[in-house]
Amino acid sequence: MLAEVKLKAFRELVKDATKDELIWMNGFISALAGDIAIAPAPETNGKVNTVSALSGCTIVYGTETGNSKKVAIDFSNRLKKQGVQSKVKSLDQYKVTDLAKESCLLVVISTQGDGEPPAAAKKFYDYILQNELSLNSLKYGVLALGDTSYPLFCQAGEDVDSRLNKLGAERLIELKKCDTDFEEDAQAWINELIGKALAFSTSGTNGVVETKAKPARTGKKIYDGIISSTLNLNDSGSAKETYHIEISSEDEIVYEPGDSIGLVAENNVAAVAKVLELLAIDNNEILQHKEQSYTAVELFGKKINIQHMPERVVQQYARLVNKEIPSIKMDLADLLRIYPPDNGTTPQQVVNILETIAPRLYSISSSAAAHGQGEVHITVCRSSFNIDGQTRYGLCSDYLARLEEGQKVQFYVQKNNSFRLPTPETDVIMIGPGTGVAPFRSFLFEREAQGAEGRNWLFFGDQHFVSDFLYQTELQTFMETGVLTKLNTAFSRDQKHKVYVQHRMQQQANELFSWIENGANIYICGAKDPMSADVEDALLNIIATQKDINKTDAKGYLNNMKEAGRYHKDVY
Amino acid sequence: MSQNESPAEKIKKASNGLRGTLKQSLGDEHTGAIREDDQTLVKFHGMYMQDDRDRREERAAKKLERLYSFMIRLRLPGGFLTAEQYEEMHNIAGEHSTGIIKITTRQTVQLHGILKSHIKPTISAFNKIKLDSIAACGDVNRNVLATAHPKSSPIHEEVFGYADKISSLLLPKTRAYYEVWLDEEKLDEVNEEDPLYQDRYLPRKFKIAITIPPYNDVDVFANDVGLIAIIENNVLTGFNVAAGGGLGTTHGNADTYPRLATVLGYVPKEDVQKVVYEIATTQRDFGNRSDRKLSRLKYTIDRMGIDNFKKEVEQRSKVVFAPAKKAVITTRSDDYGWQKNHEGKWYYTVFVECGRILDSDVVKMKTAFFEIAQSRKATFRFTANQNIIISDIDDKDKKSVEDILKKHGVIEQTEKASNVRKQSMACVALNTCPLALAEGQRYMPQLITKIETLLDTHKLTGENIIIRMTGCPNGCARPYMGEIGFVGTAYGRYNMHLGANAEGTRLNKLYKENLNEEEILAELDGLFKMFAQQRKKKEAFGDFVMREAIFSESGLMI
Ligand code: SRM
Ligand SMILES: Cc1cc2nc3c(=O)[nH]c(=O)nc-3n(C[C@H](O)[C@H](O)[C@H](O)COP(=O)(O)OP(=O)(O)OC[C@H]3O[C@@H](n4cnc5c(N)ncnc54)[C@H](O)[C@@H]3O)c2cc1C
Ligand SMILES: Cc1cc2nc3c(=O)[nH]c(=O)nc-3n(C[C@H](O)[C@H](O)[C@H](O)COP(=O)(O)O)c2cc1C
Ligand code: SF4
Repeated sequence: MLAEVKLKAFRELVKDATKDELIWMNGFISALAGDIAIAPAPETNGKVNTVSALSGCTIVYGTETGNSKKVAIDFSNRLKKQGVQSKVKSLDQYKVTDLAKESCLLVVISTQGDGEPPAAAKKFYDYILQNELSLNSLKYGVLALGDTSYPLFCQAGEDVDSRLNKLGAERLIELKKCDTDFEEDAQAWINELIGKALAFSTSGTNGVVETKAKPARTGKKIYDGIISSTLNLNDSGSAKETYHIEISSEDEIVYEPGDSIGLVAENNVAAVAKVLELLAIDNNEILQHKEQSYTAVELFGKKINIQHMPERVVQQYARLVNKEIPSIKMDLADLLRIYPPDNGTTPQQVVNILETIAPRLYSISSSAAAHGQGEVHITVCRSSFNIDGQTRYGLCSDYLARLEEGQKVQFYVQKNNSFRLPTPETDVIMIGPGTGVAPFRSFLFEREAQGAEGRNWLFFGDQHFVSDFLYQTELQTFMETGVLTKLNTAFSRDQKHKVYVQHRMQQQANELFSWIENGANIYICGAKDPMSADVEDALLNIIATQKDINKTDAKGYLNNMKEAGRYHKDVY
Repeated sequence: MSQNESPAEKIKKASNGLRGTLKQSLGDEHTGAIREDDQTLVKFHGMYMQDDRDRREERAAKKLERLYSFMIRLRLPGGFLTAEQYEEMHNIAGEHSTGIIKITTRQTVQLHGILKSHIKPTISAFNKIKLDSIAACGDVNRNVLATAHPKSSPIHEEVFGYADKISSLLLPKTRAYYEVWLDEEKLDEVNEEDPLYQDRYLPRKFKIAITIPPYNDVDVFANDVGLIAIIENNVLTGFNVAAGGGLGTTHGNADTYPRLATVLGYVPKEDVQKVVYEIATTQRDFGNRSDRKLSRLKYTIDRMGIDNFKKEVEQRSKVVFAPAKKAVITTRSDDYGWQKNHEGKWYYTVFVECGRILDSDVVKMKTAFFEIAQSRKATFRFTANQNIIISDIDDKDKKSVEDILKKHGVIEQTEKASNVRKQSMACVALNTCPLALAEGQRYMPQLITKIETLLDTHKLTGENIIIRMTGCPNGCARPYMGEIGFVGTAYGRYNMHLGANAEGTRLNKLYKENLNEEEILAELDGLFKMFAQQRKKKEAFGDFVMREAIFSESGLMI
């Protein structure tokens, strides 16, 4: 394969190379093959101990939807190829007290919520940010996963990286911020790291160059959809509005049950008008945002968040107009009204401190196998709340609730690899009160299409049986056809004392546990607080009493299920 | 005759004493309905599974099942309630049902819209005040009626006693009601042997009424068994026994027909229970169990022939019927307003339109009755004309009761209501009755208003004409015994029957079919015109149309 000349040269090169040198060459070459940022060639002086930098390193990941985990595992495999042994741990399994003893730590962490770490990484994150540790003997690298469409891109990763550095740890490689198309960047990062590590271990000098991570391209596939049908599932007299929305698209939508769609809401027209009025600019005035120009209506209508803006924005505004403003979330209109900018400040200056509207996610409640690839269904609860006497609505759920058939929407698919159906023969226990039922509707349609022989058990709950039983007739059909083996419901407000899904689970403890022992997978979806916590607690009780063990051992039992990919949560 | 038995017969036999799978049905968390066979069984416990027919399409679109709920009908022999019972019933209605208390044409009350999860609380609440719904429906003896007329009260107590005794005599023996709804432990030692009903119960519903002449407010001849109290110098000696009454028919089924009960003869009061019991056993053994449309006693009798039937009953009861004694019946209507009985106790008969006790913006009837109940100054009686009698009021309390009635506009509405309105009845029909083809109680009041105008134009204002309407041919408001009867055929359309008499001893005849409101009013316009011009002095409308040759041979007008 190699030309004679090259082959000769290569033989020369490797002839009496030490084992370590060979390993390095291998890494170097595969890095070359990786056609990306090549590690600077080290001065080979025969007796290097290249492995030292990374050997025995720990790769920890903080994940919500499984991406970081996937990347972390790839890393350890890549290192293994280099003959470097490493441990891989989820951050919620990682003993923070081990940090002191750790020699090399590689962190792969995503960002969730509004710039927060994933739930599983919270403990670690808080520990390092709140404690004054000295980590002088620690070498580390951070790979951050995120999404540029959120205002705080890869914030959690940034925080971890800068904090470890501040605590005296030694950066092996600069922080890398990956957008949703993270695979390539992640590969590049690990190759670069391997290269650097070797350079590092030989030169003994920190080969890290402080360069700002280049703005990641967003490789997200945006679909153009049309609302093909929308209806409020709640009956008259309900306190809730939950919309079943079917969105169809020209091009086939690539998703699996368990995925969500993400979309960016448009601001309420009246609110936009108010803002423009307060800023005294007309609809067509051109303004800049993120190196792009828009007309004022476009920008305030579709791009930037003007409702319930976070404290940080409010504070920036305070500085801009140098006024004392309490550190609370505020709507832009109120801010401009109560603290009007003086004539000195231009609208563009105001725009500069505002943030993009963050996408909102909605679990897909359809199944491509059952409904085809041309459409997705979502189940949206219009979030409503009361502000001094008048009813207000959440931005995106209100936007979706008001969409009419025929209107256009853009959306993308937010994969969730840690919320997947098991093999067809495996039993499934689904706990999904309220809109938490959405992915389970998808699951059931999918299992039916698969002809999966595994049993399915759903726990559903809401306020009132008569008005709030989402998808009741569909679920009844699933029972008749045998797809749904058991369906238990809890309607909290139909009797004096409140009844929730966790109470139904307790009532079914015996059978529930026998399903679990039988290998069933458990899925929880819906409100994070208090539902998911209470449900998990109920599960622990059931396990403890049924197995006759204490709560801690029950926790262990549930952890093992999680490790084995048998316990899944998608809560919000 | 167990060849090709109807499904209902199999369900009854397989039901293990009317238990079926009711407990499991109550446990089904995914539906507000109960399992199919249980829907038949639950009737024996005094309940019907229904759904709000107004809401079907809308809910289906929302992926919600039909709005299932249950109607419960109390077993109330003679239609009597103490103040305590009335007060609690009012509360139960508010907590578990639509809140409307519906007085039925058989002297009891129904609560509608009770969700499955509310059935047990409802029944146990009733149980606490010694009320139940056992056998208020189903193929058993139903609520036993007794004249509620205050003036009848010298022997009312005694007759009322018979209603109660007969009701208990014909109760099913199974404890299922107490186990399923009241969580009573199943006791193996209690003997559920049921010599009367065995495991097959009766082929069909079975109805008994007792009337005290000259009153016939209970429509005694519409019943499977009608007892006419015979009073000789102010003592109850016995009863004329009539059998084979029943009104239910089916459109397009010529084998079905309304029938008035045939008088079999007289029996002394000490024998009456035996006789009634054996009429029931005869129907049990001879009744048709394959076709439920032809299984009422009326068809059994016509098949056997009245004489064979009479013989059979005499043999079984070892009681021989004496010739019927003279009993003069003159009226079926309630005496509205204040009445005083022989002991000087006061009674106020309230006109309750279509038997629906509720608070309107003008008349706060429900509140009024509740306050009276709370005051403990009266008892309550329901009439078979869907009205209520505030009863047994002492002289000293009359004023305060009257004040409550006045305060809430009850007296005014009873006095203001026209005679036709007060004589009229309509069945429940939509939105709860699954068998309804047309509106009943929701539509009748408007139609009456238009009929009142017609009467005025023909100078017939104040005329007592008995008008009855049902949403289907089952005849729940006894339309075939109205001087004018409307029987629903399709939404907004009714068959028009004419010519029953005021006493309730003559059925009316089919006059015109499938009329909409406009056609109904046009017909009545013509008839009232004729009536106003050609009636004899004091002649009732029903008698008039029968005398005038307005019917062809077929019954239908040419
Ligand atoms: C409430 C009441 C009408 C009213 O507005 O007052 C009524 C209401 C119903 N009747 Fe009736 N019947 C009522 C008196 C009658 C009467 C009048 C009477 O008994 O004096 C009759 C005609 C006499 C007779 O029995 O022949 C009557 C003949 C029927 C029939 C036809 C029976 C037959 O032999 O063909 C049915 C249908 C059936 O039984 O299959 C029926 C069935 C029904 C049902 C239960 C419909 C059903 O089977 O699902 C109706 C419930 C409607 C609802 O939503 O409440 N109802 N029903 C009366 C309750 C009486 C009670 O307290 O027990
Ligand atoms: C993975 C995932 C899956 C999800 N799946 C679903 C699903 O299937 N169905 C579903 O309905 N939701 C789902 N959600 C939740 C959804 O993404 C949104 O969070 C939800 O719809 C609320 O967004 P919103 O824009 O309507 O409300 P927002 O505008 O984000 O407001 C959220 C809350 O902030 C407060 N708030 C907002 N504006 C103001 C104001 N002006 N003044 C005071 N307080 C204010 C209110 O408490 C409000 O409820 C999911 C979330 C995630 C992360
Ligand atoms: C609810 C939610 C909120 C998110 N918020 C942010 C954010 O504030 N900033 C960001 O950069 N990415 C954000 N993302 C994008 C994720 O970090 C990105 O999808 C990442 O690939 C997820 O990796 P994981 O599967 O390891 O959790 C968010 C994703 C979700 C589901
Ligand atoms: S007459 Fe027909 S419509 Fe009316 S209540 Fe009876 S069954 Fe229902």
